[in-house]
Amino acid sequence: MALVEISNVHKSFGEVEVLRGIDLAVEKGEIVTIIGRSGSGKSTLLRCINGLEQINGGEIRVAGEQVHSRSTDLRKLREHVGIVFQQFNLFPHMTVERNITLAPVLTGKITKGAAARELALKVLAQVGLEEKVDAYPGQLSGGQQQRVAIARCLAMSPDLMLFDEVTSALDPELVGEVLKVMEDLATQGMTMILVTHEMNFARNVASKLVFMHAGMVHEEGRPADLFANPATPELANFISSVR
Amino acid sequence: MLQLNFNQLWRYQDEFLHGVSLTLMLTLVATVAGLAIGLVCATAAGSRFAALRLLVRSYVEVIRNTPALIQLFLIFFVLPYAGLRLPPVYAAAAALSIYMGAYATEILRGGLASIPRSQIEAGQCLGLTRWQVFRHVILPPALRNIYPSITSQIVLLLLGTSLASQVSASELFHAAAFVESRTFRSFEVYAVVCAIYFTLVLAFRLAFVGIGRIAFRWPTGR
Ligand SMILES: Nc1ncnc2c1ncn2[C@@H]1O[C@H](COP(=O)(O)OP(=O)(O)OP(=O)(O)O)[C@@H](O)[C@H]1O
Ligand SMILES: [Mg+2]
Repeated sequence: MALVEISNVHKSFGEVEVLRGIDLAVEKGEIVTIIGRSGSGKSTLLRCINGLEQINGGEIRVAGEQVHSRSTDLRKLREHVGIVFQQFNLFPHMTVERNITLAPVLTGKITKGAAARELALKVLAQVGLEEKVDAYPGQLSGGQQQRVAIARCLAMSPDLMLFDEVTSALDPELVGEVLKVMEDLATQGMTMILVTHEMNFARNVASKLVFMHAGMVHEEGRPADLFANPATPELANFISSVR
Repeated sequence: MLQLNFNQLWRYQDEFLHGVSLTLMLTLVATVAGLAIGLVCATAAGSRFAALRLLVRSYVEVIRNTPALIQLFLIFFVLPYAGLRLPPVYAAAAALSIYMGAYATEILRGGLASIPRSQIEAGQCLGLTRWQVFRHVILPPALRNIYPSITSQIVLLLLGTSLASQVSASELFHAAAFVESRTFRSFEVYAVVCAIYFTLVLAFRLAFVGIGRIAFRWPTGR
């Protein structure tokens, strides 16, 4: 059984159908990148996977559990599914330590105090930012904020991480440090689904590439194959437009 | 020529002191109660239930569009016909709390709405409950955003407590009227009372700046 099973998912905003029958399976340890034009429904799909958006048809299962079923405890599910956003969304009024440890403490994973700080330092080490443990988000660069956001996710020990264009809001010179952290995570076997415009990352790190077009999975396969031999003119156009 | 003579006022120190303490007491009670009412109503204003939203809306509009003095008179003079007879100080505290509550509702509503949806989603995505998101993610920055308006409102409330004199609650302004009736030194009495109010407000403002510095230490920007 795949870790994430998406079958025939439909999603509309009012009259507009944004997802029109998505099928996708993600195995444990896979790194799936989703590419596609603006408005093709990439963010919407990610948001459906952790239950931020309702769906109008089909189903999504994470670790066998149906995300959009009434009986599902979304909070429990989200403790296993982390998401990192384009705009970081750190809490500006909390130090880095508190940003990271808030959820683990409130959900009862760890206790306040020494244990919390230890956890914060551990995940900060993974993103190379231990020295910022006491800083506020407003005192960090965009790249540093995004690495803290990733660390905050890691502190919940997720089984799956979702990344929505996490480098798109960054100055070009800060993109590298964030991609580096994501590559490290990939190496350590984290299951990741990421929406990105970083074609090199998609080509070199991902184990699977998904091209979304008009609310559907238009093509999917090994990145090297898709980049070398796109089967449809839509993907061929897209690849040449982003190069 | 006006002959100023403050000497006679010294004998009435106790009246003034008592007045100041009741003024402060009314301010404190109405601030705490008003903020509590405001928090509940501001939350209800975002409720799914239209009836609840309408109720809050009506409360806020009625209170903010009528004179506070009349609200006080209704509570003190009219409620007894409905069987609820409140002593002056209690009637004043109730009226001022209801008055403060309406303004606090509006201010808090704006404050809660000022927190971007993305912050709330970030909290939800970390597995927090609705209450935890409200308490830890929304409330602190919302309070910071509204701190200037809330503190000005508290100062207005402090000055507004003088209305309580109209139902003969013996706060500072009532004390002044009393001393004036004994000494006939109107100018001196009101000059002194004015100076006392001014000093109180100044002390409040300084305290608010201090509290704000301690409570809201995180850098803003962007
Ligand atoms: N909350 C919403 N209400 C109404 N329409 C929405 C909402 N969110 C997204 N949409 C619409 O759904 C479509 C898909 O949006 P989505 O954000 O998923 O695209 P995307 O592929 O992530 O695009 P981008 O590359 O620009 O981020 C767009 O047309 C968008 O306008
Ligand atoms: Mg998007």
